[in-house]
Formats: sequence, C-alpha cells, structure tokens
Amino acid sequence: MYEDTETNATIAEDEIMNTLATDETDHLLITRFKAGSMDAMEKIVERYEDQIFTFGLKMCGHLQDAEDIVQETFLNAFKYLNDFREETKLRNWLFKIAARVCFRKRRKKKFEPERELSLESFVLKDGLSSSYDIPDLSNNPSEQLERNELKQIINKSILSLPPKYRFVFNLRDIEGFSTKEASEILGITAQTVKTRLHRARLFLREKISEQFNEGEAVR
Amino acid sequence: MKTCKYYFEKISEYLDGELDGQACHEIEAHLKECPECGRCADSLKKTIQLCRETAKEKVPSEMRVRLKLALQECLQKQLG
Repeated sequence: MYEDTETNATIAEDEIMNTLATDETDHLLITRFKAGSMDAMEKIVERYEDQIFTFGLKMCGHLQDAEDIVQETFLNAFKYLNDFREETKLRNWLFKIAARVCFRKRRKKKFEPERELSLESFVLKDGLSSSYDIPDLSNNPSEQLERNELKQIINKSILSLPPKYRFVFNLRDIEGFSTKEASEILGITAQTVKTRLHRARLFLREKISEQFNEGEAVR
Repeated sequence: MKTCKYYFEKISEYLDGELDGQACHEIEAHLKECPECGRCADSLKKTIQLCRETAKEKVPSEMRVRLKLALQECLQKQLG
C-alpha cells in the first residue's frame, strides 16, 4: 500500500515536470521560494548572477551599471516569482527581465540613436580583402597577459556594436540562447534575430581583426 | 546560378546548423569550391569561438556581498 502511494506520487511528480519548462533544480528552488525559503532565493541568485552580470557588463560596459542591472533583475524577479507558472525556463525569464532593465537604462541615459549595419558594406569589404587576422587562443593558452589584452579587445569591440545588434549577439553567442529563445526574450521575430546576428558577427570580425593588428604593430 | 553574395548572407545560419539539408549541402559545396567564401566562413567561425571563450565574467566578491544584503533586505520587507 505504502509502495503504491509512493509510486503514484512519483508518477504525479513526473507528470508535473513534463508540463513545466523549468528544469528539476529550478522547479525545486521555485517551490521552496514560494514556501518562503530565503535559502532558495540565495541559491537562485548563485545559479544565475554571473550570467546576468556578464550580460549587463557586455551591454553597458560599466561595473556600476552591471551591478544595478543584476540587482534590479533579481529584485523584479523575486517580486513576481510567486506568480511565475514555469511555462518558460527560469533562466529565459530572468534574461527577459534583465533585457528590459537594460532597455530602461538606455532610455534614462539617452544613449546614442540606433545605427543600422548594412550587409552591403560587409560584402564590399569582403570582396576587396577576404583576409581577417583573428587570433587563436588555443595556440598560446598560457600567456595570461595576452589573454587579458585579447579580452579587452573583444569587450571593446562588443561594446562598439549598435545596441540592437549587441542584445542579439550577447544572447545568442555569449549566453548560448537559441534563435527562438532570443526572439522570445527580445520580442522580435526569429528572422530579425538571424539578420542582426549575422551582421553583428561580421562587424565584430572586422573590429577584432583591426584592433588586434594595431596591437601587434605597437609591440 | 547562385552568387557568392547569396551564400555570404547564409554563412551564419550554416555555422549555427539552422539550414535545411539541401541548403546546407549547397553551401558546403560552394565553400569547398570558392576559397574566398571558404576563408570568410573560417574567419567568422574563429570570431564566434574567440568571443565565446573570452567573454564570460564573474561577479566581483564585494559586489556579491552587496547584492545578497540588498535582496535579503528587500525580501524581508516584502514578507512584512
């Protein structure tokens, strides 16, 4: 009798998990949070704070702004987590909140107007010179100094992307969201995600190559 | 006859595995035949890998402490 009850409970739990988009760990943490656990809140923060921080820093380029973005994201998330029905992954929901916080921050600071990246300009450049000098980290992984310099070059290049391309690039290539997930987080079509991502990558290839060559020339 | 520009527009989708079988086969054949487009695809792939490998950040420890305190304070207020 006891075994049957236990089996039924396991089956019921499995059925619940199958209807939820969140993974088992997140589901458990959310359930505990809803029951008032501070520890669950801390565990959720621990799980996602580095990712949200990376996104915030790559979007705005300042430590203080990135800290504000992380804090506002989690404050908003915990305010509404009791109503979260787990129809999307917790990570995706958190990034949707983080993206909104970034949008608001941009508006408040009156950032520069959006710039379009035209595919034509990349086609012409590509036709004239198809050789891009992109450094390869695997050639020399022990050189920490060079690695740090390279990191600075990459961060600077990502920050020089116009914001709407930067949002897509960071979500797709840095955070690893799929095209569909990025389109849901940003509220744009999958085709727009693809178009912006391709142009962002072409832009970065050119920027990184230019800055890397400048650095090499100085050495 | 599809041009290099046609394939150039599709390179990211190809690298992401988002093209269907026929389109994928076509672009692969073109990249083998056309050295310029082949180099273009390679350098784009290296750019993506390089950004992925170097871009991750960690929250600085003092910031981690501040964040924890701010969230605890806020949640305790919410719980009344």
